[in-house]
This record gives sequence, C-alpha cells and structure tokens, in this order.
Amino acid sequence: MPTIHKTTFLSMLLLSLGLGVAVAQNGGASSGFPTPKNDFTASEQRGHGLYLRYCVGCHGVLGDGEGENAPYIDPRPRNFILATFRCRSTSTGTLPTDQDLENSLERGLVNSNMPSWRPTTPYDRKDLVAYIKTFSPRWKTEKPGTPIEIPAEPEVTPERVKAGEALFQKLECWKCHGVEGRGNGPSADTLTDDQNRPIQAFNFHDGTRFKCGSTDRDLYKIFMTGLDGSPMPSFADNVKPDEAWDLVFYLRTLQPMKTKAKLIAKQLGLKPINPAGAPAQPPANPENK
Amino acid sequence: MASRFPRSVWAAILLAFVVVGSLRNAAAIPAFARKYGLPCSACHEAWPKLNSFGQTFKDTGYQLMNDRDEPIWQNPSYWPVSMRITPHWHYESAGRQTVDSIPNDPTSPPIEKTINTSGFDLTGIDILTGGTLAKNISFLLVPSISSADGTVGFESANVRLDNIHGSPWLNLKFGKFELDGPVSEKRIMALSGVGGAYQLYHFVPGGDVNDFTFGENQLGVELMGHSLDDHTRYALSMVSSTNGNLGLVGGRSYDGYIHVSQGFMAGKLGLQRVGAYFFSGFRPTFFLTTTVGGVSTPLPGTGQGNRSFYRAGAYASIYLGRFDVTGVYQRASDNVFLANGVAANNGGGLPIGAQGVRWDTGTIEAHYTYSPKLFFLTRYELARITRQSVAGFAPSDLGDADVITVGYRYYPFMHSRAGLAWHQEFATELTKHTSDTGLDQRTSSYFMGFDFAF
Amino acid sequence: MKTRNKLAGMLSALVLAAVGALMLSRNVSAAGEGKITGTVKLAGTAPHQRAIDMSKEPYCQKLHADHPVTLENVVVGSNGGLQNVVVYVSEGLPASAGGQVPSEKPKWDQKGCQYIPHVVALDINQHFLVTNSDPTSHNIHPIPTKNPQWNKSQPPGAQPFDVSWANEEVSIPVKCNIHPWMHGWMAVVKGPTAVSDGNGSFTLDNVPPGNYTLTAWQETYGAQTQKVTVAAGKPATADFTFKAK
Repeated sequence: MPTIHKTTFLSMLLLSLGLGVAVAQNGGASSGFPTPKNDFTASEQRGHGLYLRYCVGCHGVLGDGEGENAPYIDPRPRNFILATFRCRSTSTGTLPTDQDLENSLERGLVNSNMPSWRPTTPYDRKDLVAYIKTFSPRWKTEKPGTPIEIPAEPEVTPERVKAGEALFQKLECWKCHGVEGRGNGPSADTLTDDQNRPIQAFNFHDGTRFKCGSTDRDLYKIFMTGLDGSPMPSFADNVKPDEAWDLVFYLRTLQPMKTKAKLIAKQLGLKPINPAGAPAQPPANPENK
Repeated sequence: MASRFPRSVWAAILLAFVVVGSLRNAAAIPAFARKYGLPCSACHEAWPKLNSFGQTFKDTGYQLMNDRDEPIWQNPSYWPVSMRITPHWHYESAGRQTVDSIPNDPTSPPIEKTINTSGFDLTGIDILTGGTLAKNISFLLVPSISSADGTVGFESANVRLDNIHGSPWLNLKFGKFELDGPVSEKRIMALSGVGGAYQLYHFVPGGDVNDFTFGENQLGVELMGHSLDDHTRYALSMVSSTNGNLGLVGGRSYDGYIHVSQGFMAGKLGLQRVGAYFFSGFRPTFFLTTTVGGVSTPLPGTGQGNRSFYRAGAYASIYLGRFDVTGVYQRASDNVFLANGVAANNGGGLPIGAQGVRWDTGTIEAHYTYSPKLFFLTRYELARITRQSVAGFAPSDLGDADVITVGYRYYPFMHSRAGLAWHQEFATELTKHTSDTGLDQRTSSYFMGFDFAF
Repeated sequence: MKTRNKLAGMLSALVLAAVGALMLSRNVSAAGEGKITGTVKLAGTAPHQRAIDMSKEPYCQKLHADHPVTLENVVVGSNGGLQNVVVYVSEGLPASAGGQVPSEKPKWDQKGCQYIPHVVALDINQHFLVTNSDPTSHNIHPIPTKNPQWNKSQPPGAQPFDVSWANEEVSIPVKCNIHPWMHGWMAVVKGPTAVSDGNGSFTLDNVPPGNYTLTAWQETYGAQTQKVTVAAGKPATADFTFKAK
C-alpha cells in the first residue's frame, strides 16, 4: 500500500530530524549527559551520572550543598567540598570510610530531607560515593581514618546501667540532651551546627532511630566518634571502650522501646539524674597550680 | 462477508483505540518533586516511567520515610497540585475505511479508502493532586478534563492507609485507583492514537460486550504489600464490576485481582523482576426493564445474568544497565454470552457454534535510557484470538492485531520544579480481515509535541 | 567567697601573662636572625563589648560575679593598643625558612568558660595543648575550612589534648557548643608569627634579612598588609592602625 509506505517514511524522517536537533542541543557539560571526563575513573564517571539523576537538586552541581532546593531545606544539604561527615566509624576529624558513606546513603539521615536510597543498587551507591569524593581535595591528600575498635557487646547488667548513668552525669550529656534525655538540656536552645544554623539535640523519648543507625553499635559509634559538623562531640578521649557500652545501655533506658536495659532500669527504679550533684569545685588539675 | 459482525463494530473498536489513546492520563507529579526537592529523574527513569526509587516511593504511600512526609513539614502555601497536558501535531492514517463513492449520495456504492487526517491538537488535561494527609495516610485525586468534550471525570480518587502496624506488608487503598498491573498504562511512554494504549489492556474481539478494560481505573479496595526493599510485592484487589464508572449503573457483583512479583538484583545490571497476575470477574448480560408505551428501558444497577471472564498473565522485566525490556504474556477469556452479546436468559439467542472467546496477547517493550534527558522506546504487541466467538464461521485469525511503536522523548532540562519533554513517535497497527470486504486494515499514527507537567 | 574570686582572678591573670610570655618568646632561637617589632593601634572609639550572661553555667557565673566577662571581639589597651591581632609574614619568606616547626606547645585553656588566650597563632604542624581548668565539661569545636573539622568533649580533670593543624588558615573559629558564648580563634601560618599583647605590641623573631609583606589580622576588622625590610642585625619596625567602624 503506497500510502502506508509514504506515511511511514515521512514519520521516520520527521522522527530522525527531531532526534537530530535534540541530540545537537545537548552538547556541553551542563547538559546532564554523561560527558566523558578524562580524569574520572569509570566508577566516578558513572557516579557523576547518578549524582545528576538523584542528588543534584539538593547538593548542587558543585557539591557545595547549594542545590536549587537547598534554601528550602532544614537541615541544609551536606557540603561535600568540606568533606565533613556526621556518620563515621572513624574518629573525629578524620575522613569516613567508603562503607560509612555507603551506609548513610542506604540508611538515609533521620530528621532531615535525606531519604534512604535503598532502592538503588549497591553498585550505584559505590559509584555515587566515588563521585562525591571528587569534590574535596582532602580525599587526595588524606586517607580515611581507621574505624574505631568496638569491643564485643557485653551482657546488660544492673551494674552497667548504673555505671552508664554515672557517665551520663559526669560527661554532662544532660547539658544538651536534658536530664531525662528529652533533648531539652540547659544548652539545647543555643545549639548551632558548623554553618551557624540552629540544630536540635536528640530526644531519646520519641523513639525515632538515631541519625547514624539504630543498633547498639551505631549508638556506640555516635558518641565515640562524634557527629562532625554538629555540636555532638567525640567522647573517645575520656571514655574507655568498655565503659562506652555502659553508656549505651543507660541511653537505651531513656528510649520508649522495651529493651533489656529498660527492664533493668525499671527494676532498679532509676530516676532522672540530678544535675545539682555535679562537682562544684575545680578538680585537682596539676597543670593549674 | 467473512464475518458475521457488521464492519462498523470493527471501525468503532479502532476509533475507540484512537480516542482512548488521546485521552491517556499519566502520573508524573512535579508536586512531589517540589515537596522533596528531588529532580524528576530521582523517581522517574524518564517521566512518567518510574525507576525503582520512584516505585518504592509510590509503594510506601508517596512517602520517602525521611520524617519530612507529613504535610506539617510543608510551607502552608504548598499545594500538592500538578497538571499535565500535551499540545501536539499528529497525523492519523486509517486504511480501508468504508465510504460512499460519492459523498452525500446514499445510492452510490460504498468503496474502501484510506482516510488521512492531520493537524494540531491537545490531549486531555490531567490535574494531579496527591501526597500525604498525615503520616502513613496518603491520597491521590486526579480530575481529568476530556479533550473531546470538556467534561470532567475522576481518573483517580483514593485514600490509602500505609504501613499498617508499622509493616510495609499491609497497605489498604480505598476508592478509584489503577490496578497494580504488570505495566502501568498511566505511565505509558507512548502517546499516539495507535501506540498510546496497551493492546494487553484494551484488545477485545469484535462483538464482545464485556466492558472490562484493564487499563481503566477501577473502583474498590486494594490490599497491597511489599518487602522493605520493595523486591517482593503483592496486591489483592476487590473492585465493583462497573469498570470504574460512577453511579452504580452496572451489576452488583465484584471482581477480584491478584498480582505477585519478585525482584532480584543481577549484579551491576540492576533490578530484574518477574511476576504473575490474575483478574477474574463477572459482567451482567441483561438488566431488569420497565416498559412504558411499548418501550422497554433497562434499569441502571440491576444487572442480571452475570457471566464470567478472566485475564491471566505473567511477565518479566529485565534491566541491562541503561537498556531495559519488559515482556508480558496474557491469556484472556470471556464467557460465550459476553462474547456474542446475548442475554443469559435467552439461551436460544446464541448462534449455532457459539463458544466462549479466548485470546492471547504478547507485549515486548524495550527502552534505552541514554540519560535522564533522552529516552528511546520501541514496543511490539500482538493479539491472537485463539478461539473465535463462533466456531468455524470466520477465518481463525479474524481480528488479530499487530502493533509496532517507536519513539523517543527528550527532556531539555531536568530539575525539581517542572517537567518538559519533546515527544516524537510513530505507531502502526495491522488488523486481520477487519475491513468491510474482509481485508486487513492498517492504521498508523505519527505524533510530535511538547509534553509538559507542572 | 570573695577571697576565692580574688584568687581565681589572680590565677587567671598569672596564666594569661605566662601564656602571653610564652607566645611572644616562642620563636627565639638561631642567632643572627632579625626581628620585626611594632604596635597595633585602633583609631577611633572601640565598639562596646557587651557583658556575657553566663547564667546557664552557675559555676562560671559565680566566678565572674564581680567582674562580668565581656565579648572580646575588639580588645583595646589603655594606650589605644589593639590586642589579639595576629601578625605574620605573608610573603617573601625564602622556601627554606619556616621549615622548622617550633617545639614549644602553646596552651589553649578553657577557664571560667573563656578561652585563654582568645587568639592563638600557630605554625603549621605545631602542637598545642587544649586543657580544661573548669569543673564543668566543655566541647572544643574548631570549625576550619582548610583543615579537618573535629569536635571533642573534655570533661573536668581530663588529660590535655595534644593537637596540631596541617594547613595554613587565618583563622579558625573555635566554639564550645555547650557554652555558646565561648569563642576564640586559631591562626595557622607558615613561619614567624605573633599575637599583639595588651598594649598592642608584637615581636616577630627569627626573620632572616629580606623584603617581606607583613599581614595583621583582627577578627572584627579583617586583614591589613604592609611591606617591611629587615636588614642584618637590625630590628625592623612595622606599626599597624585599624580604623574603628
């Protein structure tokens, strides 16, 4: 049927013409097309494409956390140029491991706009991490820190819960997190992050998971490595690895979830700590005499 | 005459395809992008087609589960409203149409002629509103304005209780919604008159009065669940036998639907999925009537003489990096009374040799996502009637159809506020022996236009 | 009560003086090298430095009950000398100079909910000690842009932290999140550097003869530069004047 052939032919011609124009429109690096860049590895190159697909709206083309939606987001998107990351298995001030970053991607960051990217593939997340690391020169000059040693989790005992309570008081966790862990301590309302934006202390009572995971080990890591960029410091210099577990157990008693620690706290009749019990005299510090 | 059905029936079916195609409604919802600040490409392989992140977002009830899902997090001026329309130019060619040899002369002998039409046009406009009413309570409301007559219909209107008891395995949807099919017609990547609808969902043999259309949104409830990673999915639906029509005008029976699928990671290639589904229901074959002045009028909602039908299928979606291909096989069967359009209380009305009609459809759709901004598609569909409604009467391949669609979409920008696509497509369909003289008919569509959503 | 306050005041003054002395003398070594001396002055009236409300930390509030601590954004001595100005050689040092990292470890003390000193100048990779003399926890949180950011808790009686910075940066703000008024600066430079004292005077030691650009940085007024020539065996002078805004 000659008509059909003509129709088909004309349609195909128009189709290819339009496509030609569309492709020609797409030169240049800003096009969103995966333009090959010589100094990128294959993984970084793929990560670049994925970054433009998923991340660019908030974290921006330059990775500076100034994407088109950044002004509307609180907390603000991470600035990858500074290479300061909250969730690490490494000590404060060091770069996180790739696995730390992949975990953050997979988990998402609670109480922020960062969703869980679990539906992407593990390979996608690896490539994304590879690309994110190209934003800061620190990744070229520094090695990621070594993950902190975490001893095997001991049995929860009343002694450990009580020791944890003493640590909570001594380390003055309550200054920000409050005596009951409600995130309402005396310093809570003036907390700011490294960009000088207000930030809230974690409230253990609402039962949400922690920013960097929900397991006991995650909780251990949070206060032993600190959440860099936030007011949460590292306590690694003043808490022994085994003592840290005591604090983990005590913190668990502040949460609404039914855990063994919580049960022990009930049996012990644990009450909120009394901040007035804090020492009032300067400690005996030889350096000051 | 090769068929006992008037040719006009076939012509009407073809016309229906064209109309349905141009009325396609699709869900690409920039309101979600604006709410979360993600570019369209985060959820869409190329909109409106979802990627696995978007599918998970949809399955969790339009929630990212990042504590920013509740409406309380939005600026009060935020309205979850989007709209989509496609101004376009299209060319339609319908082969072997019966026309009078001399227009306006009823006595002139009919001849068969290819009718070509072309011009600028609009699709219907979709107004898409959706989101969360509260944590774990989501909704979707899609009023749709028809391009043909400007009437407003309710494409979708449902509320969904998500993650009941904190479990992703329990989600209950209530209202009018799209069946959780193997491919989503609301997210079809083709827009032309011929290519803009799936044969899988719309093909019905001539003379069959069953109005069930898989592609139409249905009224009912859906229990749906999925694993946390969305690899395992199931959906159970019970819907009214009204094909989504409002006002209880059909029968009183309900249709049931089940769909299970399993996804698995195949290394770097991506997420593969296999699944199977089964839809079974009843349609009334006659209504109670009341006679006034010798004219019998059917009473709406009093459908009687229910007869059954089913659709059963299996599919696989294969991802090979940027290339993906989906194949669906479906078997469909309609009861003999539905197939021949005869009331079930009139057994004698069936022609000699009447039998239930059965047909198979095969769909292979392949995509190549060069980047989030350039997307190619091609699709081949076939429909084969394996048992005609009257045995030995018509050629066994009467009404069989083959459709080929090719096209691409180009998105000049990709951000989180709005979407624009330049769409070009060509689709052609061949149906066997459907012209008035029993010859094959070819219908072709060419489509180009700007598809935009805000 | 009063005696204790007096004692604490004297003690802090002593520490201040000791630290100041340490800072000024820290680069004394190799003979035959020149030095640059000078004064930094403020022209105009210094902005009012408002008193800090330490009521959130009862210990510190009590400590400063008689003499409330004020902000330290602009600290001017009786002679108009501007304190806490970092002076350093920003250009002209031979590549060989500044290769030696000073061995002295300046102390950065947290005392009475204040940083003492308020500004410290350090060489690249020079170690310094962070101490806590208060009976309360502090978290020390420097927020650099060219160095890694860290944040450590230091409870009462804890061992000092021995730390250093690897990259030049003028200057790194330091804060304590628990006591938001605590604020200080760390300037990390390569080569000779000093912080002006209560009279606004400073001395840069170990500057080999040559032509240099000298930079003075003040936290509120920013940086100023001037050229200076150091002749062999003769101290050069360079005075800076900042204008009050």
